[in-house]
Amino acid sequence: MDWLSAVSLDGLAAVDFRWLGLVLELILMPLIAFVVGLGLVLMLRKIAARLQRRVGPPLLQPLWDIIKLHAKETQTSHGLIHEIGIVMAIGGYVAAVTLLPVPGMNGLAAQGGLIALLYMTMIPSLGLALGVGQCANPNGSIGISRALTAMLAYDVPMVIVIFGVAFHFGSLNLVYLIAAQQAGGIATWGIVQMPLLALAGLFALQGMLGKQPFEIYVAPAEIATGPMVEMGGKFLGGLFVMQCFQLYTAGVLYVALFLGGGENWLTFLFKVFVVTAIPMTIAMVFPRYRTEDMVRLFWKWPTMIGLLGIAFVMN
Amino acid sequence: MATSPTTVVDQLLAGLHLPDGFDAVAGVIREFLDQVTNSAIWTRYGQQSLEWLIGMNPVDRLFMLSALTLLLMLLLGRLRSAGVLAVLLYGAQFAALLSTDTLFGAPLAAAVRITVADQSLHWSYDALSWFFAMITIGTGFVTAWYAAGSWMRRYREAGRSARAFHVALALNCFGMLLLVGSADLLSLFLGWELVSWASFLLMALVGGPAAQAALKYLAYAISGAMLILGAIALIYGISGSFEYDAVVAAIRSMTDAQVWTLLLLLGGGFAVKLGLLPFHLWQAAAYAEAPGAGSVFLGAISARMGLFGIIVFIVGMIGVSRLMTLEIPYTFMSSRELIAWIAALTIIVPTYTALQQHDARYLLAWHGIGQGGYMLLGLMVGDAVGSAGGLLHCFNYAITQAALLMAVFAVVHRTGTADLNQLGGLVTRMPLTFLVLLFGIISLAGLPPMAGFVSKWMVYRSLITEGMPLLFVAAVVGTLGTILSVYKLIHNIFLGQLRVEHQEVAEAPLSMLIPMLGLSALIFLAGFIPGPALSWVAQVQGQLGLPVVPWVLGGIVDPRGGLDMIWLVGILMAGFGVGALVFYGFGGRSRRVHQLDNYAGGHFLTADVHYQYSDNFYAGLMHLIGPWYRGSFRWLERSLAATLDLVSFGAEGLYRLAQPTLLMLAAAVAMLAWVL
Repeated sequence: MDWLSAVSLDGLAAVDFRWLGLVLELILMPLIAFVVGLGLVLMLRKIAARLQRRVGPPLLQPLWDIIKLHAKETQTSHGLIHEIGIVMAIGGYVAAVTLLPVPGMNGLAAQGGLIALLYMTMIPSLGLALGVGQCANPNGSIGISRALTAMLAYDVPMVIVIFGVAFHFGSLNLVYLIAAQQAGGIATWGIVQMPLLALAGLFALQGMLGKQPFEIYVAPAEIATGPMVEMGGKFLGGLFVMQCFQLYTAGVLYVALFLGGGENWLTFLFKVFVVTAIPMTIAMVFPRYRTEDMVRLFWKWPTMIGLLGIAFVMN
Repeated sequence: MATSPTTVVDQLLAGLHLPDGFDAVAGVIREFLDQVTNSAIWTRYGQQSLEWLIGMNPVDRLFMLSALTLLLMLLLGRLRSAGVLAVLLYGAQFAALLSTDTLFGAPLAAAVRITVADQSLHWSYDALSWFFAMITIGTGFVTAWYAAGSWMRRYREAGRSARAFHVALALNCFGMLLLVGSADLLSLFLGWELVSWASFLLMALVGGPAAQAALKYLAYAISGAMLILGAIALIYGISGSFEYDAVVAAIRSMTDAQVWTLLLLLGGGFAVKLGLLPFHLWQAAAYAEAPGAGSVFLGAISARMGLFGIIVFIVGMIGVSRLMTLEIPYTFMSSRELIAWIAALTIIVPTYTALQQHDARYLLAWHGIGQGGYMLLGLMVGDAVGSAGGLLHCFNYAITQAALLMAVFAVVHRTGTADLNQLGGLVTRMPLTFLVLLFGIISLAGLPPMAGFVSKWMVYRSLITEGMPLLFVAAVVGTLGTILSVYKLIHNIFLGQLRVEHQEVAEAPLSMLIPMLGLSALIFLAGFIPGPALSWVAQVQGQLGLPVVPWVLGGIVDPRGGLDMIWLVGILMAGFGVGALVFYGFGGRSRRVHQLDNYAGGHFLTADVHYQYSDNFYAGLMHLIGPWYRGSFRWLERSLAATLDLVSFGAEGLYRLAQPTLLMLAAAVAMLAWVL
């Protein structure tokens, strides 16, 4: 059977199996993001509980919450766009996390760099905004108006940070950025090379996650939780899933830009949890700003710090 | 065998490589054509004209068809079927443009020449002309289709002249085709004037506020044309010729001061049409008040003629590298940075003016001015990706803005208003129009997966790699403002509470929906597979002597950070699939409730309660930035107009009161003083 083995071996050598690995990565990356996101939500609630001298929820509580919300009997829909909005909110993040490299997996990071990632994460927000819009509740619309204003506020320092990092390393490709940071240990990390930009980025992170003092668009006592006002059952469950992804994306992005990404899963997860814990902790000691105060603050301090950071990077 | 329609169709069909099943269809067509070719009229006139048409110079054929459209509209514009005829004729123009093969092939000169006083006017098509002509005819085609049915019936019922509309549209197309094909300064100026007056015609059609706005435009356009005439005189004084080759040589030999003058004259003249700051005030009202379909055409392509002029002269002939050597005295800036900053301000100021509009038409028209800034900004960066992004944005913006304006005017067609405070909840009544507007706003805001994302991404990327942080931030601030503004647009029209008077509103008529949906599909496709459009842009770059963008089917290849839209859109669609699975696949069934079944803080909602948030949509933001809107540009415009008024008043008074002879004497003395 000489000829048979020769044929099959040649055939095997000719077929490229790399695409199979990529498909596996594209399935695994959102799954990991979701599980890590659940952990981040748990940490968020634990920190809040400890600061208020409570015990806090058990390990699987975030998962049970999602299951509970999906299983509810009363599922009130305000129309097709209301539903599509939730689908877009989840789906956009499922896609966006494949652009974020994690240890051992690069996903589609080479096909779309930092800017593509930044704009990809706006798709879930757009979906949510459309869904809330169809609910025909002014509280929700005001919430979206505030959320978009908040985006206008924190994205200015955010893009300054992205410019600085991309210019410093000469690339928009996250895989390359991480490799360049890992090349010389901690000394080549973004946070060491560009401390001002890292500080501005931390500010932007706080706004991006919508944590106090920047939770202007949830504002329970003012606008009845804003975007969530008409959301119940699996609509709220969908937003819960979205929040898991959002925490994960923000944390991993910061780690990839400033903390050298992940050398291995242990250090990677450690960094992500530490980074995400910072806004949570800050949030607990602040009341809420007014919309215009938030915009003013973001356009002043982190923007100035970021521009100063860029001035250092470019010289 | 002599050329006959049958052979032409056979060649076409052979080129398409259709599957076998289509043989029957081809047979029917062939049979019909055989009958036509055997008729007496055909043998007498048709055969000859067809052979003449096929044997013609392709560029002449394009001009001839465009002129024929104009003529037929002038003669038959009154007829009910004129709209359909117009669509067919624009389609024929499009085919004629493709047959010139000037995009990938060599430039082609038209055989037509006009000689006036020993100076010959001639025309020639190359990749740049092809690119702009393609957008022009394409826009004309979809506009004519949009106007052909229900829209035109309503227009006639309002007592307006269908013929005037058709003629204005055809004249605009014809003028633009002449302009983009101009091959010397005189033909350029001829085309420029034709385009200016044709757009005035289209703007002023319906009278009232539209005519007011059109007159304002005219004042701007005439001053712009004077500047361009001055530039042409300057160039002619140095080169002694109107030919482009001589012009390029003359510009090379110019001193810096002369190039500065030329830059100010040309830049100023073209900036008026493009609506660059501070010459932008005329545009929004003039475009928004034009009749629906006319507004679509003006908004999508008309202002780009200014950009075409800038590309030909400032990017092509003077060149970005020369601009960089022109320093502004006592500053660190070069003229290139000056233009880039004007572009950046043109992005920001009109975009945030759009944010304050209450009229959907004005909102989009103001965005149109802002988007022009991105194109110029990309071109001024001047690297391969940036200039390609700027050029590509012309195409992407045209299809986006056409779709958006069509959707808004479809709403106006059905509800009678474009006031964003008088609408709401229409998504249940006009779902397809909603879809078109949704695709359009995603593209206008520059989010994936639509076309606008690709071109804006290219502009951002070039600003990062070329190290221009402040311009980059300015470009992104413009995009963020656009996102805020377009969400208000879609929210106030289609989302929120449906008003009582709109309960019975129907979906837009089919004649308007087909071009709208076609454009939406194109917006998505041009985002999903940007390769074809990038290949056109690469040809234009090559012809202009710019570095050529490294494109592939899915986007840009570059180790420093590329873009592959096929992957990105694919994963996004897969993500939506997963989202749908999570949402619809698990958990209880959702129940649709009435829009009044809502949380209202313990109150019960009834049909007479207006439960909608629309006015002053970004109240919190306006608390901060509201006082920044000072209307400085309006003040500048008014003070200029007042100065002119005063001067003319003084001159008039002098002429009337004082002795005319005294005036003559004063004029003579002034003249002598100037001459000596």
